[in-house]
Amino acid sequence: MNTDRDIIRRSRDSPAEFAALYDRHASVIYRYAARRAGDFVADDVTSETFLAAFEGLDSFDERWEDARPWLFGIATNLRRRHHRAEARLLKAMARSASREAGVDSTEVVAAQVDAATATARLAKSLKAMPAIDRETLLLYAWADLSYEGIAGAMGVPVGTVRSRLNRARRILRTGLGPVKLDETESDHGRLAAAPRNA
Amino acid sequence: MDDLQLLREMRSDVGTPAQATLARGRNKLLGRIGAGADSGTMPDGGPRRRRVVARRVVLAAAAAAVLLGTLVAVDVVAPGGKPGATAEAAEVLNNAAAAAIKTSDPVVKPGQYLKVDTKAVYASSMTRAQGTTVSWLETQDGQVYVPADRSGEWVWNREARVPTTFFGKESKAEAQRYVASMNSGAGPQLEGVIRGKGGAFYDSPQQILGLPLLEAIKTLPREPRKLLDLIYKKNGDKGQTPESEALVTIADSLRTGVIPADLRAAMYKAAALIPGVIVADKQATLDGRKGVALGILWAEGKARQDIIVDPETGMMIGERNVSLAALDGIPANTAFGWTAVKISVVDSAP
Repeated sequence: MNTDRDIIRRSRDSPAEFAALYDRHASVIYRYAARRAGDFVADDVTSETFLAAFEGLDSFDERWEDARPWLFGIATNLRRRHHRAEARLLKAMARSASREAGVDSTEVVAAQVDAATATARLAKSLKAMPAIDRETLLLYAWADLSYEGIAGAMGVPVGTVRSRLNRARRILRTGLGPVKLDETESDHGRLAAAPRNA
Repeated sequence: MDDLQLLREMRSDVGTPAQATLARGRNKLLGRIGAGADSGTMPDGGPRRRRVVARRVVLAAAAAAVLLGTLVAVDVVAPGGKPGATAEAAEVLNNAAAAAIKTSDPVVKPGQYLKVDTKAVYASSMTRAQGTTVSWLETQDGQVYVPADRSGEWVWNREARVPTTFFGKESKAEAQRYVASMNSGAGPQLEGVIRGKGGAFYDSPQQILGLPLLEAIKTLPREPRKLLDLIYKKNGDKGQTPESEALVTIADSLRTGVIPADLRAAMYKAAALIPGVIVADKQATLDGRKGVALGILWAEGKARQDIIVDPETGMMIGERNVSLAALDGIPANTAFGWTAVKISVVDSAP
């Protein structure tokens, strides 16, 4: 047996085992943090997450096999220290894409403009929504956590996760406006990239 | 495309961590693990214990970092105020640079591969429950096959990692326990044949000096002073001293086996400008080949990082770390980590 829980249990007796958890999940935590706030923040958040996790081994809920909700929960708390970096990034994305939207339109450029416009609008919506909704939405879309995983990471009931996600997606859709959406693909948009713990 | 899919694609192209970044985080973690284990079992140790911990971390860090292709150290030693390498070391390095330029690089024809054969020994340390640290050496050999067109697919065959040298009975028992736990899947998978376009194994390009390898080979300055200044700048406050870290950076770069003669020469000349670099051994033997070892002290003078150069051809034979005092159960004057590099041209890759 070699689940995350097994590693965590073993590392209580022989701490060096904990490094295996880093090898397993560090790049995922890094990538999530980098998407949200850039490489500089990701570097800091990733190493601090595992230090904090190691020192708080007892805070791991043994009912879980997968350590990712726990790790993302820690990473989320640590990343809040860098909320300005995320705000700057979203602001820049909203701006840079709308600048590209002025380019002359051939068909190819038009497609690019559409993507750029969508990105700019997404950035604007993310920036506009309450932090707690953004947190929930991105743990779902970028960290690939399940509803239960997000509930574990944020320490709230699954029902709360559901209502926060609904609210956040409403804001997204409103913000996207005239960009063509194909709602028939799937109810939860899971077709393109199924999460590993679905 | 619905809103969630659009969101999933947003910034999906960012966030692949550099191996060096992950290695640094891992070292930090190992440092904390080591410190925690010691303070938990020896609550009254005080400053002496802290030094033991620091040394342990240095070794664990070295072992872990080598695993990921960089060498990062933890202690801090005051830098020496000397103007450059000793005259003797500078002469060896500058001659090696001249030889490197005279000896042409092996020619790899289309369809052929440059084979970089690496024999490596790493130190592993384990802090035991009662607070003592034991160490042992593990070997892991490997071959990298670089296609004539370097942007093509590289092949890396990594052989099994095997504990080979033990320092006492306890060391052997810990090593066996550790290997058993790794084989049960607790550790990262480190053996087998791995492929990567342009040398990007594990989906991320190999880096030297924080630059993707192929780009670095093209763009790094060939003027030694400029190169060394860039090395200092890129390393920042990483490592023990800027000087030892600079030589480590040069050793890391050279052991890729793909540094062309002109850049290799510039690296030797840059090493000749590093204060504290000495001729450590005129008759150094590594993996059966003889060369001159150029070294710099680190870990408060308790260890030395060497690069071993063949003065005839200007090729780097390898690099090694030598203990000058007993460290975590490793006796003094032991090469507790080394890499020997051999280059040839072959017609096929696995």
